[in-house]
Amino acid sequence: MIYFIVFVCGAVVMSFEILGSRVLAPNFGNSVFVWGSLISVFLTGLSAGYYLGGRIADIRPSSKKLGLIIIAPGVLLLTFPLYSGPVSDWIFMKDLGVRSSPLLASAILFLVPSVFLGIVSPYTAKLMICSLHTSGKTIGTLYALSTFGSIIGTLITSFYLITIAGVSSLIMGQGILLIILAMPLLFMKLQCGTDYTGSGGGK
Amino acid sequence: MFNKIYLTVLCSLLFPLSGFALGPSEKLLTEKNSLYQYIAVTEDAAKHERYLRSNKKDLIQGGISLDAPAKMLFEYTRTAFVSLAFLPDDPRDVLFAGLGIGAMPRYLNSYYHEANIDVVEIDTDIIQVAKEYFYFKENKNLKIHAGDARQFVKRSKKKYDIIFLDAYQGDYIPFHLTTVEFLREVKSRLKDNGVVVSNILSPYRNKFFDSMIMTYKKIFPYLYIFKGKKSGNFIFVVTKNFDLKDKDGIEAAAKKLQSLRQFDFDLPETASRFEYSMAYEWSGANILTDDFAPVNLYKYQDSEAK
Repeated sequence: MIYFIVFVCGAVVMSFEILGSRVLAPNFGNSVFVWGSLISVFLTGLSAGYYLGGRIADIRPSSKKLGLIIIAPGVLLLTFPLYSGPVSDWIFMKDLGVRSSPLLASAILFLVPSVFLGIVSPYTAKLMICSLHTSGKTIGTLYALSTFGSIIGTLITSFYLITIAGVSSLIMGQGILLIILAMPLLFMKLQCGTDYTGSGGGK
Repeated sequence: MFNKIYLTVLCSLLFPLSGFALGPSEKLLTEKNSLYQYIAVTEDAAKHERYLRSNKKDLIQGGISLDAPAKMLFEYTRTAFVSLAFLPDDPRDVLFAGLGIGAMPRYLNSYYHEANIDVVEIDTDIIQVAKEYFYFKENKNLKIHAGDARQFVKRSKKKYDIIFLDAYQGDYIPFHLTTVEFLREVKSRLKDNGVVVSNILSPYRNKFFDSMIMTYKKIFPYLYIFKGKKSGNFIFVVTKNFDLKDKDGIEAAAKKLQSLRQFDFDLPETASRFEYSMAYEWSGANILTDDFAPVNLYKYQDSEAK
């Protein structure tokens, strides 16, 4: 279950990034500046999320908190079409230049969700690590699944999803997906228990 | 010595000089990677012609004859001038979205000195190449604006008699220049009798073509099509007003213009390729919007019509 969630969060990050380029294009074009802005904002969000996630994970981690961490970007994505248009239009009117405009728009629209999605990786790692003997394996598996999810998210979005649905509905759909996935976490009691020596426990 | 040969071979393997096969008498004059695309200028010594090429094999974006650089060498550029026959008067304000080698704005400027021509081109390297290799010069009535066509149109307060849309980057189509929202913005920049001319490089038919037809039809009352005789280009002409044009009227207007302006190509012949869009329309095609415009994938997908 946790592994699947990490996979999906990885997929959503990159899918959202690809769709982000479509969101920005009407106002800011499709140039290398737009892509540079998008990628740097997502990476900023993720690195901040990794750092924060590690800190938060050390304070009594629970699956309920993980659920809330995933629901937050879920709600942001679900309501994305409500604010993305006004924000882009407002920055377009301000006209800060070909570099600053898309950078600011990306920061406002994409930074916060990517911070939350970044938190997921270290947080789940903490939840899953039940034995110091196998912590390397657990962390490695989570990294791999998260990045594998990103690959799949990138490919199916750019090759397939954009031909079957609109950008707004795809982003909202991903919001719904995150919320649905996070729901069971709110009621789960995911713990390693007291057995801190057993290997692979808690799956 | 041996090292040098080895190095040369290695370099040519790692960094092939050009991404396409040159013709037997064609040589490369310059090449560069701009922010937006790969650009190469080549010259064919036998034909005495110079081309702007992108990296896709065989795809030539534009060209001139070195013996007659003022002429429009490419058929689609001449075809696009049929739009003049849709206007009641000489154009006074004209916008080109996409410069290329600048053949069309340069030609228009030379025949209509008094028209104010704005050209918007995103790629400053294209602007430089057009000036350096294709005799393009700005003057008080012919101005280049470096920037994205859509942003230019959105910010513009001017109204135009003709807006030329020709902003493909090689074979890549910027999706935000194909949507109903964009066309609505373009329409708002047209004078009441204004026309939009669009160069659509696409086979007939695929999903992209079907969608482009229906998207133009959604925003403009009438769409007229002029098919290239030699090239695979379609020229779309749309009008803002609701006067339905007919083939005889456009042919007559083209003949009148030809005798008045003495163009060095056969405008009436171009006008005789007049077609209504009905034969090409397929109502099942998806209309392109900012939300949904998978144009670069649609190009490779077969039409679903029939």
